[in-house]
Amino acid sequence: MLEKSLIQATQIEFHRVTKMYGPVAAVRDLSLTVHRGEFLTILGPSGSGKTTTLMLLAGFEAPTKGDILIAGKSVAAVPSYRRDQGIVFQSYALFPHLTVRRNLEFPLEMRGIKATERTARVDRILERVHLSDFCDRMPSQLSGGQQQRVALARALIADPPVLLLDEPLGALDRNLREQMQVEIKSLHKDFGITTVCVTHDQEEALTLSDRIVVMREGRIEQTDTPEALYDRPANRFVASFLGEANILENLGFDRELVATQPPGTFAMIRPERICVFPADKTKRADAGQRQSVTGTVDDMIYAGPLRKYRVRVGNSLLMVREHVASGQDIFRPGDEVRLEWLSSDIRFVAA
Amino acid sequence: MQTLQKLGRMPIGLTVPALTILLVVFGLPIVLLFLTSVNAPALSLSNYQAFLRQPANVRVLFQTIQVSVVATAICLIIGYPMAYLITAASKRVRMVLLVLVIIPYLTSLLVRTYAWIVILGDSGLINNLLLSTGLISSPLSLIYSRMAVYIGMVHIMLPVMILPLVSVMMGIDKSLVAAARSMGAPPFAAFWRVFLPLSLPGLRSGLLLVFVFCLGFYITPAALGGLRDAMLSTLIAAQVASSFNMAQTAASAFILLGIAAVMLSVLGLDLADTKTHGTRLARKSWRSGLPSFRALTRDLNELASPYRAKRWTAKLYQAGGSSGLWTTLGTLFVLLVMLYLLFPSVVVIIMSFSGGEFLEFPPSTLSLKWYSSFFGDPSWTGAAWMSIQIGVAVAVLSTIVGTLAAYGLNRTFPRLRSFLTLIILAPITFPSIVVGIAAYFGLLNLGLIGTKTGIILTHSIGAIAYVVVIVSATLANFDRRLEQAAKSMRAGPLQTFRRVTLPLIRPGVMGGALFAFIHSFDEVVKTSLVSGFSVRTLPLKMWENIRNQIDPTIAAVASLLILLPLLWLLVLYVTGWRPRPRAQNVLPDAVS
Repeated sequence: MLEKSLIQATQIEFHRVTKMYGPVAAVRDLSLTVHRGEFLTILGPSGSGKTTTLMLLAGFEAPTKGDILIAGKSVAAVPSYRRDQGIVFQSYALFPHLTVRRNLEFPLEMRGIKATERTARVDRILERVHLSDFCDRMPSQLSGGQQQRVALARALIADPPVLLLDEPLGALDRNLREQMQVEIKSLHKDFGITTVCVTHDQEEALTLSDRIVVMREGRIEQTDTPEALYDRPANRFVASFLGEANILENLGFDRELVATQPPGTFAMIRPERICVFPADKTKRADAGQRQSVTGTVDDMIYAGPLRKYRVRVGNSLLMVREHVASGQDIFRPGDEVRLEWLSSDIRFVAA
Repeated sequence: MQTLQKLGRMPIGLTVPALTILLVVFGLPIVLLFLTSVNAPALSLSNYQAFLRQPANVRVLFQTIQVSVVATAICLIIGYPMAYLITAASKRVRMVLLVLVIIPYLTSLLVRTYAWIVILGDSGLINNLLLSTGLISSPLSLIYSRMAVYIGMVHIMLPVMILPLVSVMMGIDKSLVAAARSMGAPPFAAFWRVFLPLSLPGLRSGLLLVFVFCLGFYITPAALGGLRDAMLSTLIAAQVASSFNMAQTAASAFILLGIAAVMLSVLGLDLADTKTHGTRLARKSWRSGLPSFRALTRDLNELASPYRAKRWTAKLYQAGGSSGLWTTLGTLFVLLVMLYLLFPSVVVIIMSFSGGEFLEFPPSTLSLKWYSSFFGDPSWTGAAWMSIQIGVAVAVLSTIVGTLAAYGLNRTFPRLRSFLTLIILAPITFPSIVVGIAAYFGLLNLGLIGTKTGIILTHSIGAIAYVVVIVSATLANFDRRLEQAAKSMRAGPLQTFRRVTLPLIRPGVMGGALFAFIHSFDEVVKTSLVSGFSVRTLPLKMWENIRNQIDPTIAAVASLLILLPLLWLLVLYVTGWRPRPRAQNVLPDAVS
């Protein structure tokens, strides 16, 4: 990430782009910069305009207002087939009437590359994605993961400067998804290709991206690195869309906290920042920086390495996440507990 | 303004060739015809009043409706159980039964009508058998009666009823019936409460298609019915032939069209899907009629049923266990219906080999004399060659124009699409005598009456409609992201169409071409109106023969035409039926 931040050349730029479908704005006044070689993910719930943004970039939709620049040039008048981008579609869009080899040759043929070189390049990339034995299969004869790899290979084979991924892992089961995340990451590193990915899966976004753009209702809510986004969400939507967030309101326990809270914001704390103790245990020594409340366990979920508690404090429910360790106290619904956290772990987020 | 911009970007322009042909040959003339019928510019209903003032006309009017209702009802009574039994059969039996239903569907209407003349005629098969066994002493008058009309019409319409029903029934999840039974429903209740409601869309498509075809039916009633069994189409044809009082004829044509339209809108009301009912009631604008338009388009899609038969194989359907008696009865029923559907063709084929001076069944001696008479007579071979030429030209023209139109329609916003589709389908929804009269005036203006070009254009307006229906159905299943994918790999619009879209919709295009050819190759009514006296197609020559003297040569011609559907099925199999290669059998690349 460091070396990338040194280059920082701009590859893609959205300049105040608006896209209307009839009276409905799918994308509103969106400005965005993607650096060369960067892996940028657009994250948002369905209907947030993330797919429209990708389609605008791909050239399948034209912006109603504003301009999109790729490598410094406006592409408003450039049709999709002259934009030189590799795209992995949500359902892969492998040509069902062509073999794997012919699918991979297609982008090379369209660029007028000779047959002998095509064969060599297809062989090379098939080896890279571990599919050399499958080159004569039809797409329907491949598993989901294999289709995904063919789609990736097909998008990359012509060395386009930009790679677009539309919900690339949405159709895969969990194990395969993790495997493919590693594969995509390593391909991105090898090819050093500027990549824009669209997803609604926060885990995928956090794992893969250099930077994440969170969108809602056609607007950008926040753009930042995964760590910064999770640790310092700009507002309540980002906080609760990316991971779980406890909003601390009406707890009526801490004047000190209320005093430092900027007006119009919410106090938020992540579930894993809260520690849980038996109610009768005394406070720790460094109590000055800590805040604590007592409550009743409402529910406990055991999730392998984690134990999740839902604790009722006054009228609110707080989520607590604790790593399973030996010698831990285990609480059952109805147990009285004390919750503690460092006041420095509290974030104030806009509404 | 924005709509205009949107329009400019849409490939709606691809529908222009189809709409131009339609407008010139059919659209403008039918408008002019309507204006003539109301004595424009004076505007009066005198022609309509004159029509209704004649009791004979009114009688024909009611008779037309009555015959259509009865024929449709018989089709329903035979067709529904038949479709159910076909659906419930084992996979292999079902395929055989389907093919046996599709063969008559694809067989020339003239040939099938001729077969019934041969069977029911005074010296036909039944009378001859009864006479020779001594059961009767003088021939029964079977033909030229209302009964003969029903036998012939139902025979012709039955596949049109069965195929949409089977296609819908195949889509019904059998586990739903099983679920109903698990909840304590006895077999009949499970059928009545679950299966029947789910099969209603197919029922409606079948009823609608059969009824509308029956209303405009000309050939079969005219050939098998007596003088008192005239249908409105027959009446109009007689008017055209005798008086040619244009205003009067136009008025009759529009009365027929009006009945068809009324019946369509009555039946077109969604009896089946209550889902759209609420939304339609909610809409109060002029567009409120459009949902039923859409329903009509959907029903017309069923015309392409045989082509879509390939999809049926994909769905497995296990027959539930049933008692022995019902199985026997069911089998018997299926055999009887199949006999009814196929026996006439078999009779014609056997008789065509008779060695005597007249056709007899069973033939006392066998010979090929009627075949050599066919191939030796230039008027027969010339007519056949003419029909083939016209058919190929129609298939080529309408496949190109229709595929372009279907592609354009597919890329248009839905409201415009359903409107334009409705217009393009008019030539096959309107009674063919009405289309024929309109085309006559259209070609008259162009000076194309009695020319091959004129006939090709007339056939093409109907053929384009078939191509649009079939190709649109294929395009609806086509994933447009494949085109986007191709474009993202630098394939231009033309290359994308040639390399990706066309190979994938090719089965639909081929199916469309086949139906276009069949439509042209079997067309009599419109052809007889626009051919003048100079162009003789095979169906025209056959129709002439059926009406005037029964030249036994026609049996040989009919037998040859009966073999055609087998050829068509082969073509469908080769183009559309090819299964996608599975993991075990890797086929060589089909597109290289």
